[in-house]
Amino acid sequence: MSSSPTSAGVVDVTMPQMGVSIAEGTIVEWKKQPGDAVEADEPLLEISTDKAESDLPAPAAGRLAEVLVEAGETVEVGTVLARIETGDGAGAETPSATHGDGKAEHDDGNGGSPVTPVVRRMAEEHDLDLSQIEGSGRRGRVTKKDVLAYLRGRGEAPAEPKLHTESPYREAPAEAEAEAPPQAAERPAPGGRELSVMRKQIAEHMVRSLRTAAHCTTIVEADMSRIEAARGRGSYLPFVARAAIDALREHPTLNATFEDELLTVHDEVHLGIAVSLGEQGLVVPVIRDAHELSSEGLATRIKDLAERARSKRLSPDELRGGTFTITNPGAFGAVLATPIINQPQVAILDLESVVKRPVVVTDAAGNDSIAIRPMVYFCMSWDHRVLDGALAAQFLSTLKRRIEAPAT
Amino acid sequence: MSELTYLQAISDGLREEMRADDSVFCLGEDVGAFGGAFKVTDGFIDEFGPERVWDTPLAESGIIGTAVGAAVEGLRPVCEMQFADFISCGFDQLVNVAAKLHYRQGLSVPVTVRLPSGGGFSGGPFHSQNPEAWFLQSPGLKVVAPATAEDAKGLIAAAIRDPNPVVYMEHKHLYRRAKGEVREGRYETPIGKARLAREGEDLTVIAYGAMVLTALEATEDLDGASIEVLDLRSLYPYDREAVLTSVRKTSKVVLVQEATRSCGVAAEVAALIAEEAFEDLDGPVLRVTTPDVPIPFSPPLERAVLPQVEDVRKACHELLAY
Repeated sequence: MSSSPTSAGVVDVTMPQMGVSIAEGTIVEWKKQPGDAVEADEPLLEISTDKAESDLPAPAAGRLAEVLVEAGETVEVGTVLARIETGDGAGAETPSATHGDGKAEHDDGNGGSPVTPVVRRMAEEHDLDLSQIEGSGRRGRVTKKDVLAYLRGRGEAPAEPKLHTESPYREAPAEAEAEAPPQAAERPAPGGRELSVMRKQIAEHMVRSLRTAAHCTTIVEADMSRIEAARGRGSYLPFVARAAIDALREHPTLNATFEDELLTVHDEVHLGIAVSLGEQGLVVPVIRDAHELSSEGLATRIKDLAERARSKRLSPDELRGGTFTITNPGAFGAVLATPIINQPQVAILDLESVVKRPVVVTDAAGNDSIAIRPMVYFCMSWDHRVLDGALAAQFLSTLKRRIEAPAT
Repeated sequence: MSELTYLQAISDGLREEMRADDSVFCLGEDVGAFGGAFKVTDGFIDEFGPERVWDTPLAESGIIGTAVGAAVEGLRPVCEMQFADFISCGFDQLVNVAAKLHYRQGLSVPVTVRLPSGGGFSGGPFHSQNPEAWFLQSPGLKVVAPATAEDAKGLIAAAIRDPNPVVYMEHKHLYRRAKGEVREGRYETPIGKARLAREGEDLTVIAYGAMVLTALEATEDLDGASIEVLDLRSLYPYDREAVLTSVRKTSKVVLVQEATRSCGVAAEVAALIAEEAFEDLDGPVLRVTTPDVPIPFSPPLERAVLPQVEDVRKACHELLAY
């Protein structure tokens, strides 16, 4: 670390263009301080746009010479954020590992120790370069504990609560909470803690939506037996999404945006899917042209978006342009909720827990009997400025019909 | 609730079932007038009479064969093998007749066979074995191996009430060593469900029978590491879900069995982990077992071959540092 540059090459670090619609970004945190050695592609700082947070990798190896924009500031795309001095001796002691797609390269960065299956899987899921993690195992092997500690250090909750995809491994949430106090201690209000950038954005959006739209929630109950049979070990969500898209085709007024006093009814369904990031917050990636996908195709896209949302690899453009949103916190057992509309859309559908209930069923001959069926409440919040309760009820009854007889 | 030894708990469970159900009876060598070699059926002949507590000839084939016939006719016999080792003499009646009657003829065979097993007291090669793995290879049988007094009572009841032949492994070393609060009255410990003996984060030790005590003692204070101990209780069927859940949490597993190494319960569970939880492993799956040798009579030699607390500690240390 004491090495200094001999030949003075300087590389600027600039605020990147993170999607065509993004004009500015905020520095969340510097991961390196002036004077620190950096490797090419090593995370240098965390930036946040109005839609996504992501790490900005160092454009070159060398030494971080100066930081020009401090954490918390918002600057335009293209602004120089920092300078890196390159040149002989300025870099870290080891040459930077070339980044490829190959999994085998993780081995090379680990001093030749074999990588255990769980560490390899976690490295892939979180897009980690294992050479960056100090191994505490025998011969420097990176253990699962090392990876979990590294992820906690990065502020990334390693285990996600169950939502759209199953959590493959679990971690005690108490440890993440224990890390918060040091930060909080610096704040003036004792015991208080400022919200993260993401939470502030969610807060602003939610309050604005409630202030803007005339929220109203309509609820129908549906029998999930057919989907239960069809889904196998998969989630209900892709089937519900497919049925909702079909229902939107029948009632297109709900597939709309209402902005600047203008209602736009869309031909394409760009479906927003709420993905929880645990305590950090929630993002709503959008499946573009969702009407062209089968439930299998939707399942694949939902899984992909959820995984990339959790590893902060969504591009901001993937979080825009939705025409209708589905939220699905049902894994935690709640049965009813009144969601807040994702502006400027006009409706949001909430899928809660599927619960077995005794229900009256009528056979073809008109005989009633009581049966045990997996039932769910579909709660849809809609904007009373744009539509009325009758349309909301019609939409939900179409959804119910398609859920209960998906073949038709 | 009252504190009972493992032995008293087996006795209590058997007595409760006999009191509640006239079709339950026991048979074996010296189970009547003498009360059993280990006194599990002490006093039974006075309470239930010689019609329900049979002293049999020294012939395991006859004991199990008689029990199978009685079970097919609607009774619920409980056979005692004086030592688990001698079940080899009754093997054909158990694995070829009892285990397959349901498959071949649709007949229910609610027989329980009690196997006092295990070593640790210089019993030598004929009185110290843990032959449970033989029965895992015999579809149609269930196999249970309680580690606590509470489960000893609950599993003997479950074995008796089960419509299938059940092999009940009772470890002799636990008879008077394992003590605990046992519920009064009849209750059942479900077959096929493991027990979390201790919750932990860093490593899972999976054991059953007497090795649960060894595992708990070995890992009670392991340099501050948080060790989960899973007591299988049932060996066939065993609780795959509990095994996989624990492995997914800790990613490191040590399996402990007192039986010899090859093709044992530990090997079966290790294979399941390799098949179903490979991507959750953060180190090799280790086994601590008796090597593939007969059990020596000599105390220092016996100690050398049976898994000791130190052996389990060593395996845990090795895996924690991996």
